[in-house]
Amino acid sequence: MLGQPLKKILRVLIIFLSLSFIIGGYTFLSHRQHQKNPKDKTIPTWSQLKNGVKKICEKNRRSKKRWIVEDSKASAERLFWGLLWGIIGAIVIGLAIGCFPFVEAAFAPILAILAKLPPTAALALFFVMLGTGRNMYIGIILVGILPVLAQSIFLSIKDIPRELVYKAITLGASKMELVWNVIVRQILPQMINAVRLQIGPALVYLIAAEYACAHIGFGYRLRLQARLVNMDVVYPYLVILIVFGFLMDWLLKAIQIKLCKWYHKEGK
Amino acid sequence: MEDIVLELKNVNHWFGSGAKQNNVLYDLNLKIRAGQIVSLIGPSGCGKSVLLRAIVGTHPPREGHIIVHASDNVQSAIMKHKPGRDVGIVYQQYSLFPFLTAVQNVAFGLMLDQTNIPFRAFRPFKWRHLRKQHLAEAATLLERLKLKNAIHKYPSEMSGGMCQRVAIAQALIMKPMILLLDEPFGALDEATRTELQDMLLTLYAENNQTIQAGQRPPYTIIIVTHELNEAIRVGDRVIGLSMNWNWRKDHAIYPGTTIVYDKRAPIFLPEQEIDYAMLKKQKEEISHAVFDASFQQDRDEFRQFWSENKTGRSQDA
Repeated sequence: MLGQPLKKILRVLIIFLSLSFIIGGYTFLSHRQHQKNPKDKTIPTWSQLKNGVKKICEKNRRSKKRWIVEDSKASAERLFWGLLWGIIGAIVIGLAIGCFPFVEAAFAPILAILAKLPPTAALALFFVMLGTGRNMYIGIILVGILPVLAQSIFLSIKDIPRELVYKAITLGASKMELVWNVIVRQILPQMINAVRLQIGPALVYLIAAEYACAHIGFGYRLRLQARLVNMDVVYPYLVILIVFGFLMDWLLKAIQIKLCKWYHKEGK
Repeated sequence: MEDIVLELKNVNHWFGSGAKQNNVLYDLNLKIRAGQIVSLIGPSGCGKSVLLRAIVGTHPPREGHIIVHASDNVQSAIMKHKPGRDVGIVYQQYSLFPFLTAVQNVAFGLMLDQTNIPFRAFRPFKWRHLRKQHLAEAATLLERLKLKNAIHKYPSEMSGGMCQRVAIAQALIMKPMILLLDEPFGALDEATRTELQDMLLTLYAENNQTIQAGQRPPYTIIIVTHELNEAIRVGDRVIGLSMNWNWRKDHAIYPGTTIVYDKRAPIFLPEQEIDYAMLKKQKEEISHAVFDASFQQDRDEFRQFWSENKTGRSQDA
């Protein structure tokens, strides 16, 4: 019924059942497809998938490197730097436009315009301006996530009741203390939520850029294997991306619980 | 010695300009003595909150001066045009920082006042030592206000009454020269409201003890309230702002709300029995002078506080 929380055991059971349904459904589809065409690679069987995973994990005959290691390393590095600069830039710009009206007047309209630009559509622009090296991937992630993230930080600051700010001033807060001890602490949970929501888009921009011009990385491997219809390799790569995204989200939520106990108590 | 702590001189305030000018406050002149608990009342939309914001300093008046006197020394007067430590405020809502526990909320002002970011960053041991002192001081004050069991709770885990009590402690620990309470008990139930009114009256009793000891009383409070019983019971002086006065006598256009009522009010300390007959009489007078739109009086008719009381202290009666 609406509003009634489920018991933990029931929740686990439902999750287990839904996963079983997906796995069962896949097994059925794959089996049916292989009855029609025993050489089918679009819906690989579990044994084909096992071979695909093996191919990903073992050393490549030509390059003498493992795909999973070199692709993960390249993509993770690009994603890390893109996210890092994007988040730092968004925090600095978001705080500045949220706290200082002059900066708001100068940057808020530009951000609003940039937030509407799909970076994947402007890939060519990134090639021209940043080349095809690491900076291009960092640039596309940065331009993709920074405006949206900065705007969410800006809007969170606007949502802070003015009374809290006045109160802090009457208690003797300086401008810097107002920003650091009141505003940042007040919007920290929303800031982490905004970052959590930007992990997915950041992965999309990275994969799209790698798809278009990389010689190594998840996007490159997915493009290559998809063209060869090697779905036994594509599916495990997709699963790795899902697990990675899930782990990032879990980590950020754990950080939020640790740093913003009050926020989680508010909902209870 | 008058011992004035807050002075309003010819305060006028309006919004907009030209044809769209909306006059809000007109010619407010007021002196408040140290140790008074002043109830500020008036019809909705009459500009009580505008006046409060002007006194806090967040929205200074368009004309006139608001002066806070740290002592009788003229040089110690502070012209209010921005918020500062001299005036504390408790709002009806959003009074506490949600990310701090009760004790941290109360100690927050001490931290802001006695340290700064470089000190906290580069002198961690000294800061830790000072922090302990702040938290101990805050905990002692909370215990005094009967909040011992709530000191480690976040605002979201406390009731409305507890939050307002913590908010008052947060303001009091800073020892502001004036404490403003903006309808602080408006959202509370009757029992909690009475309990918090009693708490204010306890502060009033402390004021009296200090005066008797020949010192400046520590708590000067202005409380904005809609509740007339509360205004008369808690305040030792009631000031009424109203738009109902005979402004047409001297003005072609409505000049704004002004002070139409300024009189002493009886104080009933928590252990004293309330004289309801006395309350009723003053309540009727205030209703008539401040809230009755059909009554267009001269604005000086009910402004008798200083003519009735030489020093403005409760003992003058």
